[in-house]
Amino acid sequence: MARFQAMGSPCELLTEAPSEVDARALATLAADEVWRIEDKFSRYLEGNVVNHINAANGATVRVDQETAQLLDFANVLFSLSDGLFDITSGVLRRVWTFDGSDRVPGVAAIKDLLPLIGWGRASWQAPELTLLPGMEIDLGGIGKEYTVDRAIALLREAGPTPCLVNLGGDLAVTGPPRRSRSWTIGIEALEAGQAEAMLRLRQGALATSGDARRYVEKDGRRYSHVLNPKTGWPVADAPASVTVAADTCTQAGMLSTLAMLKGASAEAFLDEQSEQHWCRRSF
Amino acid sequence: MAVTKDKSISAALATASCALLGTGVTTAVDAQEVPKWDFNTSLLYYGEDESRVQDLSLRAIVRRLFVDDRSLTVSLTVDSLTGATPSGAIRQDVPQTFTRPSGNAAYVVPAGVLPLDDTFLDTRVALTGNWQQPIGETSQVNFGFSASNEYDYFHLGLNGRFSKDFNQRNTTLSAGISIAQDEFDPEGGAPIPFTSMLDIGDTSNRPQSQRDKDVLDVILGVTQVVSRKLVLQANYSYASESGYLNNPYKVLSIVDGTTGDTIQRVAPGPLSGPSHEFVFEGRPDDRAKHSLYTQAKYYMDGKVLDASYRYMTDDWDIDSHTLDVRYRWPLSDDKYLEPHLRWYSQSEANFYRLSLVDGAPLPAFASSDYRLGKFDAITAGLKFGWKNRNDNDMSLRIEWYQQMGSIPAGQLIGKQSLRDNYPDLNALIVQFSYRFSK
Repeated sequence: MARFQAMGSPCELLTEAPSEVDARALATLAADEVWRIEDKFSRYLEGNVVNHINAANGATVRVDQETAQLLDFANVLFSLSDGLFDITSGVLRRVWTFDGSDRVPGVAAIKDLLPLIGWGRASWQAPELTLLPGMEIDLGGIGKEYTVDRAIALLREAGPTPCLVNLGGDLAVTGPPRRSRSWTIGIEALEAGQAEAMLRLRQGALATSGDARRYVEKDGRRYSHVLNPKTGWPVADAPASVTVAADTCTQAGMLSTLAMLKGASAEAFLDEQSEQHWCRRSF
Repeated sequence: MAVTKDKSISAALATASCALLGTGVTTAVDAQEVPKWDFNTSLLYYGEDESRVQDLSLRAIVRRLFVDDRSLTVSLTVDSLTGATPSGAIRQDVPQTFTRPSGNAAYVVPAGVLPLDDTFLDTRVALTGNWQQPIGETSQVNFGFSASNEYDYFHLGLNGRFSKDFNQRNTTLSAGISIAQDEFDPEGGAPIPFTSMLDIGDTSNRPQSQRDKDVLDVILGVTQVVSRKLVLQANYSYASESGYLNNPYKVLSIVDGTTGDTIQRVAPGPLSGPSHEFVFEGRPDDRAKHSLYTQAKYYMDGKVLDASYRYMTDDWDIDSHTLDVRYRWPLSDDKYLEPHLRWYSQSEANFYRLSLVDGAPLPAFASSDYRLGKFDAITAGLKFGWKNRNDNDMSLRIEWYQQMGSIPAGQLIGKQSLRDNYPDLNALIVQFSYRFSK
């Protein structure tokens, strides 16, 4: 097992490599890919493609193929979610900080940001992207799941050694382990140490959206960290967390994110999808 | 139309993900939620012929699984026992009268019939609990307790076990210890060994009621995975019992040294006391057992051959051998047959006596309990297992048990050799099990 830190989360690689050397080689392969993607798409780093786009101030930016594929994907999600999944909503973080405090931003502050939000206001014609001045994109909502799938693809190419890649709870496997025939994964409940559910994963991926520790609370009302980009306010009655199992981590992650954005109807939405899911509400 | 649209999201996402990841073919997810609760319930009937012991036993084992392979197992067993067991007295050509263990009544055994004590009737409740968890990557511990209660007996035990895997998990060494304290509160009080069975109402030889017994067990084991098909196991165990090891309800007949007939006595009135001389048994107050157990499990395409042998020896000079073979034979994906054959043989305890001679010096210890005698036993059975519509395991097991005992040469006196002093015991065992998970 190898552990490292990336994308603000603990990352781990479990392998059944025959030797220490093989295990280290696979860990390096996976970690290098994780760090490559983090460097390329993190909105916190200077000089990368996201930084270029966000600093363009209304100018058109021509992007590489990988970025174009991610933007295409974001575009599909925007329309599938009727505008609820929006990579331009990151600017709301300027006013919302979900740290368990009672700091709820003022109505005016939120309203001031709304003109900067809306993928529909952007002009995307691969490979060229034009945002309105002041608009920003944030690929964080896709990045972790995409990275897991990329790492899995590389590990599969590297050989038949069974591997599991876990980026802060979003995970996927290259296949079943030989020794025990399935990976056992606990989906954490909200009370520490208690397993809500245990899964045996032989193929595919799991992703979880939601973090019960990220909220603000004021006047007896708790605001979840899931923001509606159309209003700038947290989605009402969103589940505490949603876990989805799917063929790829990207699919699992997007379904869990979309479910969170559905708020009170998250379960109804998930029930209509064919994927297995676990929805938790108790705060 | 929102519903239709939502339904298509999953498919649209799959297409978009494929485009993003550049993979045309993805492997389908295979995730299965592990049941957290496992219930194993069974109903067992055990019935000896000739209206001896009948037991109806209901058992439930509940296991709760937690993450990281930790588990808690609790079992509850309720036994309802009825019937009679040999009192230890020998057959006579005349009727015999016995005082009941309670000391309040007497009963008559007809001429030529093996004396059985039919006050044997009880309900037993047993509870066990066990916590199991790994320590690090290769070790495991478990701790447990056991308690059982019947109207004259209370048992309380604690146990712990540690095991460690070596050699890429192909070898497992384990060590375990258990301690137990049992309290015996015999009906009518515990009689002083070798005192006579007395008339109704006379309790002068039963001064004590509650007696204790302590048991210590130590077990050391090794399991070796030899190949994908063969797993071998060997255990050594040591058990030490000390305290009250008598059976307070068992007696020996005092017989004439020439004829072998039991000495008659005169009771004060009809059905007011024993018609013959019987004395209560007396056993050593400690016992040490050593046993060696070996097992081989051989797997071949779903079929499993499970063979084991146990050798036990103790300082009462009982040596026993047990050979047990089971073969699991799958009939289809969800049905199997499992024939079972068990052979058991033991030598008698060094203080086993069919009877005691009147006037001869008393031995230090003596018991005519048939379970301390020399006997062979065979169990033959068949189990049929299947899965029901909800994928839960069911099974039905039917077994026959036959015990064939013999009295050591030299213990038969006079007419005793004309009688069957150790009749065969036959029993039928039927068990229905139902296992389900949640």
